[in-house]
Amino acid sequence: MSEVKKNLVRYQDLIIKIREFFYSHKVTEVQTPSLLLSPTTDVYIDSIEVKVNQAISRSAELYLHTSPELEMKQLLSKGSGDIFQICQVYRDNEYGQNNSNEFTMLEFYRIDFDMHHLMEDITDLLVALGKTEVVTKISYAQAFFQYGNIDILDSDLEDLKKIANSLGLSSNYDWAEDLQTLLFVHLIEPKINQIPICFIYDYPKEQAALAKIEGSIAHRFELYLDGVEVANGYQEIQTANEYRDRFNTELYKRDKISKKTSLVDEEFLKEIKDGLPNCSGVAIGIERLFSTISL
Amino acid sequence: MNYSTSQFKNGMKLILDGNPCSIVNNEIVKPGKGQAFNRVKFKDLITGKTLEKTYKSGESLEGADVMELEMQYLYSDGEKWHFMEPESFEQFDLSEESMGSAINYLVEQDNCIVTLWNNNPITVVPPNQVILEVIDTDPGLKGDTAGTGGKPATLNTGVVVQVPLFVGIGDKVKVDTRTNEYSGRA
Repeated sequence: MSEVKKNLVRYQDLIIKIREFFYSHKVTEVQTPSLLLSPTTDVYIDSIEVKVNQAISRSAELYLHTSPELEMKQLLSKGSGDIFQICQVYRDNEYGQNNSNEFTMLEFYRIDFDMHHLMEDITDLLVALGKTEVVTKISYAQAFFQYGNIDILDSDLEDLKKIANSLGLSSNYDWAEDLQTLLFVHLIEPKINQIPICFIYDYPKEQAALAKIEGSIAHRFELYLDGVEVANGYQEIQTANEYRDRFNTELYKRDKISKKTSLVDEEFLKEIKDGLPNCSGVAIGIERLFSTISL
Repeated sequence: MNYSTSQFKNGMKLILDGNPCSIVNNEIVKPGKGQAFNRVKFKDLITGKTLEKTYKSGESLEGADVMELEMQYLYSDGEKWHFMEPESFEQFDLSEESMGSAINYLVEQDNCIVTLWNNNPITVVPPNQVILEVIDTDPGLKGDTAGTGGKPATLNTGVVVQVPLFVGIGDKVKVDTRTNEYSGRA
């Protein structure tokens, strides 16, 4: 068998195993549109804009989805129950050893799962894919205590700037969350690349994104395989008002750093006006996952 | 001239904390929900130490005017070690501190790599293998030809290297300058 064919079959086996896992758990596969009316509001993710229908005088600007998250959440709010999707996603301004403008995402949502329950589910999925190493779970705060002797949840912008300076790093950042991320990339990631499977959970509330907040932490987690970020999950916020607030926060930040901004996606807020069920969801980068498993 | 993170690549020479450094590894890290960073490993060309720094994309560092040239070691006057660039005949000198361990291996007329920063020499790298002469060592024990134990020998540069027992004063030996180990008779 040629190398190309071997690789294609290996990838196919991965996709088959993922699908079998979800089918056997009665999770429904969905396909949602990838051409959207609104760009993402995420401050550090950029949508790719596409112009369509110019030749037929019905010119419109659309955006390739950066993840199927909001489309899937519309389904959840209308009673879809547990759902998963495997699709290509597109992001502008991405480059590097582990980044590109297009990649494959597995995104899934489980009703009545909290964040820890979802991490267990992902662990089961990894086992089904033949990844059976010991799983390490460590909270964001614990990781900073352990690897940096830093009380990250009790450090404000000024404290974080001092820490960055003491490490010889620039402290020219506008927000605490950016310095938290700088320190995570600088201090923590090089440590956890020794760990085959590592969940980091309970992010500082400033990094909540679309996760539920409780006190100073957000019920958000990430999965690192050999130190590479592979998954990002939340216990999801549920009401349209919460989504509106989070979108506005992101748009405010985009504006502050002179990035292109859009209006809040009112269409989405209308679609989820009845709210999401209590659920947790996660996005997993398939190429990064594929590179760490041997089927 | 300043270089932005997007121009970083291995081997690039930049000024870090006032010292010229060389990029050993440049990793772009873009957290799913965060901004992009470059996690960079540098080697300080003066101290030889490895440094790790993380920059957000778009930060920049000043370039370092660093050149590596093959030169001939001429002589030492006790304070300075003198070198000559064979094409231009231009001469350079280094202090004992800048010479580092190269002091142990260079004999007159040897070729080596001298690193210049702003046209001033900062470090010298001797060849991986040099040939030196034993000027002092205990005589080998009679009958012991296996050379299992080895013994210290002082070479003509002053460096002490473990040599097999059969090596005697006046012998020429090959020394690996990276490990300070005997690697054979010359």
